[in-house]
Amino acid sequence: MVRNVAIVGGGHSDWGERAATWKDLAQEGGKAAFDAVPEVGPEDIEGLFVGAVQPERFANQTHVAPLVAELLGIEVTEMIARTELACASGQAALRYAWLAIAAGQLDVALVLGVEKMNLGRKYMPEMQASMANVLDREFDGANGLAAPPFFAWYAQRHMHEYGTTREQLSQVAAKNKTNASKTDFAQFQSSCAIEDVEESPEIAAPLHLFDCSGITDGAAGAILMSEEKAREVTDTPAFITGSGQSSMAGNSINNLPSLSTWPQARKASQNAYEQAGIEDPLADIDVAEVHDCFSISEIIEYEELGFAERGEGGQFIEDGRSHIDGDVAVNPRGGLLGCGHPLGATGISQALEITHQFQGTVSSDRQVDDPTTGLIHNLSGSASVHSVMVLDRDPQ
Amino acid sequence: MSDDTPDRKRVSVPEEIELPRLLDFYELQTDDHTRIHEFYENLRDGQLTTTRCQDCEEIHYPPRIVCPECMGDNLAYVDLPHEGELFAFSEVRGGLPIGLAEHDVPYVVAVVDLGPVRLSARVDGAAYDDLEIGDPVELNIVEIDGPTEEERVFYRFEPVNENGGDSE
Repeated sequence: MVRNVAIVGGGHSDWGERAATWKDLAQEGGKAAFDAVPEVGPEDIEGLFVGAVQPERFANQTHVAPLVAELLGIEVTEMIARTELACASGQAALRYAWLAIAAGQLDVALVLGVEKMNLGRKYMPEMQASMANVLDREFDGANGLAAPPFFAWYAQRHMHEYGTTREQLSQVAAKNKTNASKTDFAQFQSSCAIEDVEESPEIAAPLHLFDCSGITDGAAGAILMSEEKAREVTDTPAFITGSGQSSMAGNSINNLPSLSTWPQARKASQNAYEQAGIEDPLADIDVAEVHDCFSISEIIEYEELGFAERGEGGQFIEDGRSHIDGDVAVNPRGGLLGCGHPLGATGISQALEITHQFQGTVSSDRQVDDPTTGLIHNLSGSASVHSVMVLDRDPQ
Repeated sequence: MSDDTPDRKRVSVPEEIELPRLLDFYELQTDDHTRIHEFYENLRDGQLTTTRCQDCEEIHYPPRIVCPECMGDNLAYVDLPHEGELFAFSEVRGGLPIGLAEHDVPYVVAVVDLGPVRLSARVDGAAYDDLEIGDPVELNIVEIDGPTEEERVFYRFEPVNENGGDSE
């Protein structure tokens, strides 16, 4: 039953604080996807998967997948769905499309992620309240808990337990924001020094503004095909060779086993690595787009994804091993810290970066040297869910 | 706009829309609204409690109506300690949810280790720079004003005054 599945291409809207509606963004992302793959048009799409987290709250719109079909002229013949898994919604959409094509239910899918988050300054507390509702609102949201203080706890505990330093956090943010200055659609377009991070306003101690990903409007669209169809369209498809997902039975703060580790990231990556035949991720993965929603996240991810031993993530960035010319290029696109984080679009943008790295079509100053294997990673909610997908130039 | 703009019919939308109760922070707490009302009643009486499964003895927080360990629904409320230790904390200055933007900033939000459970909570009467992991804190029950007439309470913590009532 299982067939090889590939991403053949795709594209982005501009990301940032946009003078555009949710529907505008969806159209920009869809057009960018079809423009990037001129051999495929709306008439070829059999399945449509839309990653969108809070269109009800940010854009007063629900039942969004059929709306996207209408906006892009897609007559879906096989499967249509919107995926909501908070910050991992885009990767969830990719995963469903991959499963449907691998299972032989369809051959061609459009995966579109889109989020409109900037509501005007006056209404940003409403957006932040919607984000806080990702947690257990009754027992955590009511405490004024939102993403920045939640990840600040992780930073504090990681520093407390492993000796990770404030400067190492800054090194992650400076690397990713500087990488984003080479990415045309990214929200943040300036290079960033370590001092810039520490001089930015404190948002939730010990995290500063530049330790936090942006509030971003944006869309990204990717076209997925069965291997047979993909070969008709491109000589350089990016094959999905592994996909793992793991969730603990705990979303409330009380039920998290640790505030310095993410066992579910380890489990999801191990499942994906096993499927993809990867035994040593540090040696085998050339390029990774990981979920750096906050600077501390990337340090923990080095450890849980198998690039560094537990507790040594801070040293990994300090030694430059995650830079574009390091042992594994982590977030050459600029990550969430540099590109911004339009929730539903992020996972799809990460997968496109790996695809474009394989195809050699990214800006030359962020091109990794001849990558053959990459991964994307997202976490969601109280980091209780982790999703990992392995991509390869060859279908194993 | 030129003077020859045709007369147009004017339509309007309300200038003020009352915030739906659903959008405030706190749940309604009585037996008309929630099956864990006993948790809130105990809190109103000054006691922090949670549920414990009578069949498998699993203790849960937040309180439940079904035991996630054994799927039993024979749960009883048990007292939690009112003193614990700071496991992690942060001081929030930005990225604020609705209702918190205009006042209360900065505020400290922490994970408090009570022994049987760990829970998130606001910590009043302290600044980030004055606190350390492991510091003792004690329960502080607050009453919630508005935007509903319903009586509501919630729990917070505050640092234990180590000088206490003793003169030192």
